[in-house]
Amino acid sequence: MGRIQLHDIRKSFGAVDVLKGIDLTINEGELVVFVGPSGCGKSTLLRMIAGLDKPTSGRIEIDGVDVTPRSAADRGLAMVFQSYALYPHMTVRANMAFGLQNTKMPKPEIDARIAEAARMLEIEPLLERRPGQLSGGQRQRVAIGRAIVRRPTAFLLDEPLSNLDAELRVSMRAELSALHERLGATMIHVTHDQVEAMTMADRIVVLRAGKVEQVDTPLNLFNRPANLFVAGFIGAPGMNLWAGQARGGSVHLESGAHLPLPAGVAVPDGPLTFGIRPQHLRIEAGGPLRAEVRLVEALGPESVVHANLGEGGTLLAVLPGQPDLARGAVIELGYDAQAVHLFGADGQRVA
Amino acid sequence: MTGVKGMLGAVVTAPLGALARVLDAPLRLWQRLTGQGGMVAFFLLPNMAIFTIFVLLPLVINVAYSMTTGAALFLPERTYVGAAQYERLLRCADYTNLATCQEDQFWIALRNTGTFVVLQVSLLIVAATITALILNRALRALSFWRAVFFFPVLLSPVVVGLIWRWILDRNGVLNAALVGMGMDPVNWLLERNYAFSAAIGVTIWAHLGFFALILLAGLQAIPRDLYEAAEMDGTKPARVFWRITLPLLMPNMLVVIVLALIRAVQVFDEAYVLTGGGPGTATLFLTQYIYEVGFASLLKNPGLAAAASILMGGVLILLTLLQLALGKRNERKGRLK
Repeated sequence: MGRIQLHDIRKSFGAVDVLKGIDLTINEGELVVFVGPSGCGKSTLLRMIAGLDKPTSGRIEIDGVDVTPRSAADRGLAMVFQSYALYPHMTVRANMAFGLQNTKMPKPEIDARIAEAARMLEIEPLLERRPGQLSGGQRQRVAIGRAIVRRPTAFLLDEPLSNLDAELRVSMRAELSALHERLGATMIHVTHDQVEAMTMADRIVVLRAGKVEQVDTPLNLFNRPANLFVAGFIGAPGMNLWAGQARGGSVHLESGAHLPLPAGVAVPDGPLTFGIRPQHLRIEAGGPLRAEVRLVEALGPESVVHANLGEGGTLLAVLPGQPDLARGAVIELGYDAQAVHLFGADGQRVA
Repeated sequence: MTGVKGMLGAVVTAPLGALARVLDAPLRLWQRLTGQGGMVAFFLLPNMAIFTIFVLLPLVINVAYSMTTGAALFLPERTYVGAAQYERLLRCADYTNLATCQEDQFWIALRNTGTFVVLQVSLLIVAATITALILNRALRALSFWRAVFFFPVLLSPVVVGLIWRWILDRNGVLNAALVGMGMDPVNWLLERNYAFSAAIGVTIWAHLGFFALILLAGLQAIPRDLYEAAEMDGTKPARVFWRITLPLLMPNMLVVIVLALIRAVQVFDEAYVLTGGGPGTATLFLTQYIYEVGFASLLKNPGLAAAASILMGGVLILLTLLQLALGKRNERKGRLK
């Protein structure tokens, strides 16, 4: 239970098209993360699935049943809101019971479910408190608890961690992943934080301007981004992307460098974007890239080097350890051929 | 423009500057002599003086009046009678029969006011809540509707009374319409129950916008997320109202209830212009009773009027204290959130 299919979902607010035809299948028990920059439509898409907004056109199916015309309550989903949306005048227990009481569930059953969820989330001592008396992390757990007790077909999480401080976010991230494993339920998690997406997701859906850019596992997105946008969006620090021309088996960058194409890769001559992740660059005497160091951010185990690459181009390299690089020093860098990403003039991956 | 502005500025600031220069030395001297406390007193003094002369002093004089008798206007010429006026107001041979009370008009006014307060405040609260709920929706031309409901609040109470008398009079607009539709005219202001209902209806009409506005502010402060969470939970609209909207609206609701109570106890202007207390004593309210006994009747009795006003003041003070207490409680709750 919990397979969600979207067929050509479109949403317009007046003349503005927010979602431009989304097709997507979320499998049973999967944790899928919608990620994308602000305004890409990820929260809107989640609200369509939840039933809080109606799509302008398209069809939403849950376990093969078309639920598009159904109200939010009749879809069997539970949502965790960014603001938690706990009822401030009710105790934690009452908050968790509220939805179950709507279904006229017998009280012993309600109590049992609350007890179980409270134990799972370790919020038993908080049951008689009100949300105002809880910390951000505790409220978050209660909000999740309120979703769990309903035993929904799928959980919808709308940026649930964005109101937490950095440290708490890391631990809640792990807890949510563990919870997903324990419950085995389908979860859709919306975030703009790509680290959150990478660490939690079974699959990531990258959205931009109302369109799906790529759907894949976190590592596939990292290793084989389908286009320039995904390449730039996934991974931190972002991938080096240099515009150039493919000519005679090598790429001539606008900054002047000539980079040989990896062996076995054949691309037609013409405009091209050459991509390489900062982590895949290494200092190599006589390497194909020559750059002048502008700034070194020493993080301890590794150093992020910002450098100028000839004519206005910039280069980012993450080098292991603490290399002794002064500002203005010229370094030569190399890389493994299989780490190279090539994107055509249309922004799509060619190799 | 700048020339005019500059000139205006000079006209305003020049005398102020001169005043400041004149006051500078004496104020510095005053501060040296009395310290910071003295300066505070200096700046508060004008306000305190006005308050004392126009509020505190009349209040004390009123208490003094309530312990005197006679028609004389000036206090020194009046006869001291202690609590006799209060006794006269409150004495009844049989408290189940108001006709046996010495001041039966006072008791009638009290009963009318009590009935009025209960009915008017409850209907007003319900109407204001419904109005606020409707105005809180995304209606077309919302600002227009909000203005429509708030408009009567801006009218002077006497104007409100006159407008509605013009409508409800025996030869008024409403009867003209009824006759036009082939129905018999109704004596809206000359039949006891109709007149009393009219007083309630008109005061609700006049005050509705004010209270609806306070409630609307409360409604708009309730996060939309909560309603969406309730929607996900499949909560029926009635349950959403009783379990979510109303509890979260309670702080504003309590303010509205207490303010409405205070205003209702003081009901006078609209009702007086509308019905003049009639027919008979059907719409005679406490404030009108006090006004008539003290100023308008042939046998003026300022002492009795003062005593009645002190009793009414007591009720109002209780209600005000209630409001303050509720306000404090809300503040504490707000801090907890």
